[in-house]
Amino acid sequence: MTQSFYARIIADPGRVRVISVVDDGRLEAEVVGDHTDWRTATEPELRVGFAQGDEACLQEVFRRSAPLIYTIAYRALGSSTDGEEITQEVFVSAWRARENYQAEKGSVSGWLIGIARHRIVDRQRARGRDLRLVQAVTKQTDVQIQPEALSTLIDRIVLTEEIGRLPHPRGTILHLAFWEGRSYPQIAEQLDLPLGTVKSHARRALLHLRTRLAEVTS
Amino acid sequence: MTHLEPDRLADRALSIDDPLTAAEEKHLDSCAECRDELAELSRIAELGRNPERLAPQLVPTEAMWQSIQVQLVSQVTAPATTEPAAEPPPSSPTVTELPRRTPRPRSWLLVAAAAVVGLIIGAGVTTVVVRDRVEVTSSTSLEALPGQTGQGIAELVSDRGRPELRVQIDAPPTPDRYREVWLINTDGQRMYTLGVLPDDGRATYLLPPELAGQLQGFNIVDVSIEPYDGNPAHSRESQVRGTLPT
Repeated sequence: MTQSFYARIIADPGRVRVISVVDDGRLEAEVVGDHTDWRTATEPELRVGFAQGDEACLQEVFRRSAPLIYTIAYRALGSSTDGEEITQEVFVSAWRARENYQAEKGSVSGWLIGIARHRIVDRQRARGRDLRLVQAVTKQTDVQIQPEALSTLIDRIVLTEEIGRLPHPRGTILHLAFWEGRSYPQIAEQLDLPLGTVKSHARRALLHLRTRLAEVTS
Repeated sequence: MTHLEPDRLADRALSIDDPLTAAEEKHLDSCAECRDELAELSRIAELGRNPERLAPQLVPTEAMWQSIQVQLVSQVTAPATTEPAAEPPPSSPTVTELPRRTPRPRSWLLVAAAAVVGLIIGAGVTTVVVRDRVEVTSSTSLEALPGQTGQGIAELVSDRGRPELRVQIDAPPTPDRYREVWLINTDGQRMYTLGVLPDDGRATYLLPPELAGQLQGFNIVDVSIEPYDGNPAHSRESQVRGTLPT
């Protein structure tokens, strides 16, 4: 995983230059020039730019990752107000603590999700305190989400995004298999692809999703 | 025997009709590592198949980004103490050492955030609050009715004193039909229509002035699916519904 990360950086030498790779797996890379157009940056480039503290990069990270963080916070807390606040807190604290971000270990979005997870749990605890007071008078049921439920929710939201990002035909195949309940022979016929190709795409897609989730949950 | 190939485990998790050989089955029985991996792949496949998948992403507002910029200004302008990694997330036990460039004298962030602050001060607001001044008075989750899918939330908010109902739902759009938001009285007899719900499932509605102070029993928030028939009455087919606390 680490290897492919370096390889992608080297492959785009015009924008990000790898200076050296130190023995224990730490990454030393630098964004070259002040005019990096982050909107076209690859994901590894964003990692480097973020870790290096490039402020323009933060805006692009927000553009790409904020929908995911906001969706998670909103769904976990059931309130758009809380969702907005948590999202803002996540980006502010991520930026302030960016020296702790390890670009070679995983994506910025995975790191942001880790921070969001803690913030959500904190918010739920604070709410639980308020809620117990309310419950005493109204007998309202506890709406606090369990930790496993939070993990599953995050997994589900990340999966939805990742499946949506799979390129054609891989995404289409998974879509048909998962959501339309088609069999692999049916999909092969519908897409006019060999059955073996369809199966191979499906298993590659599943393994990709597994890698992505591992990064988010670790 | 060595561990099973990831591809083989993926086949099994996806129920791809390519049975494991006897030797593979035997290995799986005896190897906890492969079983765990298979369990994780199966869990992911199951999550992926789950009909609750419909979780369209919400779009953050520009105000959220501006607020982040404002909050970061205090850090940028603070004395040059390195921020004491206030928030070491769990997955980052060690610090990556990256070469740091000298900060540019007037950073982009500072300039952008200053512009935002200027805007606010210019507007005559004394406190630095970018989020619109909206207070949530009460809220309810919206749950799918039998035979429907989806979920959401309705919030009764006071926007600078003006009562509004804010609705956000994650529910499949309805081809050839549209959705409408209603406030139904708990007596089951009376209702107000608040308006059409856009396909993205997010909208804010002004309330009839009579309901401004209290809902007077119109506590049920209902999202209906309406045919394009020009009939203003409720179609009697609802997608999601919830009841605001009194």
